[in-house]
Order: sequence, then C-alpha cells, then structure tokens
Amino acid sequence: MSAIRIVRIHNELLGTYGDQGNAEVLAFRAKFHGISTSIIDVTYEQALPRNGNIFLLGGAEDAAQLLSLEALKREKTLEGAIGDGAVLLAVCAGFQIIGNTFWADGQKVDGLSLLDVESSPGKKRCVGEVKAKTSILNLDLSGFENHSGVTTLNSGVQAFAKVSSGYGNGDGRFDGAVVGNVFGTYMHGPILARNPQLADLILTRATGSAFNQISDPLASKYAEIARKY
Amino acid sequence: MRLAVSLKLAKLMGYLSRKLLHKSGETIPGKVLLTIYPRALIVLSQAREIALVSGTNGKTSTTKALSEVVSQLGTTVSNKTGSNLDRASATTLMSPSQYAVLEVDELYLPRLIAETKPRVVLLLNLSRDQLHRMHEVKRVAKRWKAAVDAAPDTVFVGDVDDPFIGYALSDAANSVRVSFGGRRHGDGAVCPACGKYLQWNRDNYSCSCGLSNKNFDLERRAGLAAFRNAELANIAGAVLGAPSISFAPAVLERVIERKVSGIDCSIRLVKNPASWSEALTSVKGESVVLILNARQVDGLDTSWLWDVSFEALRGKNVAICGERAIDISYRLHVAGIENWLEADLPGALTHFNGASSVEVLAAYTAFFKLVSS
Repeated sequence: MSAIRIVRIHNELLGTYGDQGNAEVLAFRAKFHGISTSIIDVTYEQALPRNGNIFLLGGAEDAAQLLSLEALKREKTLEGAIGDGAVLLAVCAGFQIIGNTFWADGQKVDGLSLLDVESSPGKKRCVGEVKAKTSILNLDLSGFENHSGVTTLNSGVQAFAKVSSGYGNGDGRFDGAVVGNVFGTYMHGPILARNPQLADLILTRATGSAFNQISDPLASKYAEIARKY
Repeated sequence: MRLAVSLKLAKLMGYLSRKLLHKSGETIPGKVLLTIYPRALIVLSQAREIALVSGTNGKTSTTKALSEVVSQLGTTVSNKTGSNLDRASATTLMSPSQYAVLEVDELYLPRLIAETKPRVVLLLNLSRDQLHRMHEVKRVAKRWKAAVDAAPDTVFVGDVDDPFIGYALSDAANSVRVSFGGRRHGDGAVCPACGKYLQWNRDNYSCSCGLSNKNFDLERRAGLAAFRNAELANIAGAVLGAPSISFAPAVLERVIERKVSGIDCSIRLVKNPASWSEALTSVKGESVVLILNARQVDGLDTSWLWDVSFEALRGKNVAICGERAIDISYRLHVAGIENWLEADLPGALTHFNGASSVEVLAAYTAFFKLVSS
C-alpha cells in the first residue's frame, strides 16, 4: 500500500480535548515507515469517505457528542469501512458513541454498536493521569482522562488496557475496549502522541504490513517521561 | 463573631503571613475572614458600588483598566495581581472605598454576583481552560446564565461575538451586548443555547433558536484582545457614570520586561489555546522561548497543545523549557518545527547569545515565578 487516508471525524465537535493530534502523530510516524498519508477532515455537514483507512473520533461535550452521533447515523459508511478492514480509534466521547448505549444531556441514546459496551453517567468525574498496560502490545501506556462516564463491557469483550493508576472505564480496573481493528479508550494526551508505539500498531493494522522499529529518540523519551506524570 | 473582631483577626493573620511566611497577603486575610465570618462578602460590599470582571482570558488586565476608569469617580479598591478566588475578593473588600473592581474566577462568579450585588458585571469571553477543573466550557456558561438571570438589578456588559457570552446574556434583564463585528470561536461549533450545529457565516454566528451575535446593543470596530478589552472596560465604566479614557499599552498587555542572563526578555503570559493563539500572532522577533508547566492553575492536561497552530514559529529560533517542556517540544517536532529542549530559561537563552531581545511565552506558574523574581 502506498498511501493511507486518515479520516479525522467531526473535529469541530469532537475536538475538545486535543485528540486531533492523533492524526498528526499517525502521519508523522508513517513518514518514518516510508508510507505517505493524507489527513481528511470531515465536518458534521459532510459525508465520510468510504475509502478511509484509519478513522479517528475524539472527546467532546455532551451536545457535540449527540450531534456527531446524529451525523454518523445518517450513513453506514463507518460500519462499512470497518467491515472492509479499516481501523477506528475512538477516544472518550467517541468511545461512547461507538458503544451500544450512552447518556448525554440527561438522555439515554443508542450508539453505533461497533463495540459491545454500555456507558452510563458515573457518580463522580474521572479526571487525571491514567497509567495502563494494553494486552495487545504488552505495552505500558499513559494518558489523561476527563470524563464522567462509566463504561461496562458485555461478556466476551476485551478491554483495551488494564489500569494501574487512574479510573479508565470508571472502576479503576480496565480502560476502553477493543474488537478487531476497533479501539475505544478514555485516554487523551493525545494518546498516540504519548504512546507512539500504539500509533505504529494502528499503522500496521491499516496497511497490513509489519514495520521495523523506527528511531525517533524524542518520541521515545516523551513516552518514557509521560509514563511518570 | 462580630465583623469588627473578625476583620481585626483576619488583618493580623495577613500581617503574620507576610512577615513570617513572606506571602503576598492577598488571600490569607480573606480566607481567614470568610472562615470566621462567612457573610463577609455580603456585608463588606454593602454601601459601595461593585464592578466584577470575569472571563477565560484578559481578566487581570481588564480589571486593571476598569479600575482606572472607575477611579475617576471616587476611591476604588481592586485585586490587581490575578488572585481571583472568593478569598482574594474578601481581602480586597477589607479596605474601605466607594467603589470596588474585582477580578473573579469563572467558577466563583455566580457566588460573587449573589453576594456582592454588583452594579455592573463585565463578561469578557469563555473558551477552553483548565479543563481538569472547569470540565466543559458549556458547564461554566450554563452557571453564568443562571447567575445572570437571577440578578435583574445588575447590568451585564459582554462581548456577544463569543457565543457563550451571547448565551449567558440571552435572557438578562439589563445588559449591554457588544459586538466587534464578529470573530470565529475555537469552541463554537455547537449552539450553547439549544445544542444544534451553530451556523457560522464567516465570523458571525446564528442559530435557528435565535442566538446570534447580530443581536447587539453596541458595535465597535474589530481589534485584538487588548483593544476589545479596553473598549469593554470603558463601556462597563460608563454604566457607573465614568467618562472613557485611553489606556497606556502596559495596562492592556500581560507582558513584563526582565533582563535574564544579560538578555532583554519580553515575557508574555499564555495559558490556553485561545491565549496561545493570540500570543503567537504577536511574536515579532526571530528568537522565542516557550515555557510550559502543568500545575493546577496551568491546567494538568496538556492535550490542548495539539489544538494550537504553532505555524507562526516556523523558521524562527525556538527554545523550550519548563516542567512540561517535552510535551510542547514533541508537539513542534511532529509539526516539523525545529526547537531546542532545555532545562530552564538561562539554558534556553544560551541559544540566543548576542540577541538584543528575546520573546518569552510563559505558562501561568512560570510567568509568576519570573515576575516575582
């Protein structure tokens, strides 16, 4: 594969917590791997491209989250692209959107059901640093969470990471969920900036080819330092 | 305890904290006073005219400006240094005066409105800041609207080009809605009033629910934040009957000049996406230092760095320091903007030997450390 298309979905709505940086980090890491990329920003009023290779959803306030969901429900593009092997990374409000149900502005709504999880309002807001280990890469991750949702995984669903510090899905045990190429997490940072190896994994999944380790000392140093925040 | 006794005790504690702990004495007396006399704000604000200033950015300089305007009318007290929680207000009000101009933290504003019954409140802007504490911009705007609606005797002056301010003022009994001809808002995609997708026509917003920056009472020409805040200070002063004045640039810019390691540094306070963007547009020279911390008042989460365009720094000499320097260094690295990562400001300045002046953009806690040194 020569070029991959990174689709940043509704950043004007889902851009409250800096998650748009995930797209930039993917494009940057891809360069090291010799892959060319394009970042395609899709707004609420536009249709998603069916031929995207990586789709990104970010964190948002309630009203924005509902608008994004409404736009995504207008079409089945995301579901179709994932069926064809595209990768989806959904953070925070985006993670809730791709679950079965979640709450926003006091109402329970049906999500896209790309992950078999349910989110509901928690008693307290989960704010602060998260440290977790993801089973996919056996990799220590760090991020920053800021949400009041509690997400429960239905039986058989794999958590994205095991939490060692912070709240994750609300109970302090696990963060996010993962099925195939669909990743959900509560971690901001942005998560791919603070954990560049995860960006590499997503690129591997999107291209179907394994990469050699790349050398970007600043990225490695940042990941290491951020794990101590 | 009676007020007079409480005041004496609070003043004594303030004196001791200054003498023994070398603190500024801006918060301790007020904190003591509010603990032993919880109604202090209510009582101390009676029999004087109160003006409050709040917003995400520009509070301190605009409070200074409004204080200058109001001083024309009579004795005026003000918290001018940026301390803006309820205790700082209480400390300020411990000194007698005819007028008080208070800078107020966004989350404390509803309490200050309810307790001090201000004649005028100036609402500057709302955007993302310290989200670990504010959580969501809408949440703050909603609290403001409730406070505005509950204070029919107060005149609210606000910049309605900011949709959150337009929303907060949408049902105000007494307001002066000011427009500077419209301005895009980084967090303005959703109508704060009804939750629909907000329609933007170039720099102007409107929603089918009726929220629009075209519903203004006064229109002023467009300008940078410092200009807008000066206009707003004069408009708020006029509510109290004060004539307009023109301000010295030093009043409106949160910039200080310091010589560090023999180099003249212009140090500017930056703290969130909106203020970073504003500051980056005003970088003039080729030598720039960025200082990033992430303590409570800076905001614990630095994710927002990815929402700031640093393009203005491309091709310049950029050195970065501070407790979270690496966060911003990596951000620029990914954007392809070269930078030097250093441990501290003197280290950063070694890259600029021979430069006549260096511009420094410093996060809140870094800024105050430099100001007080």
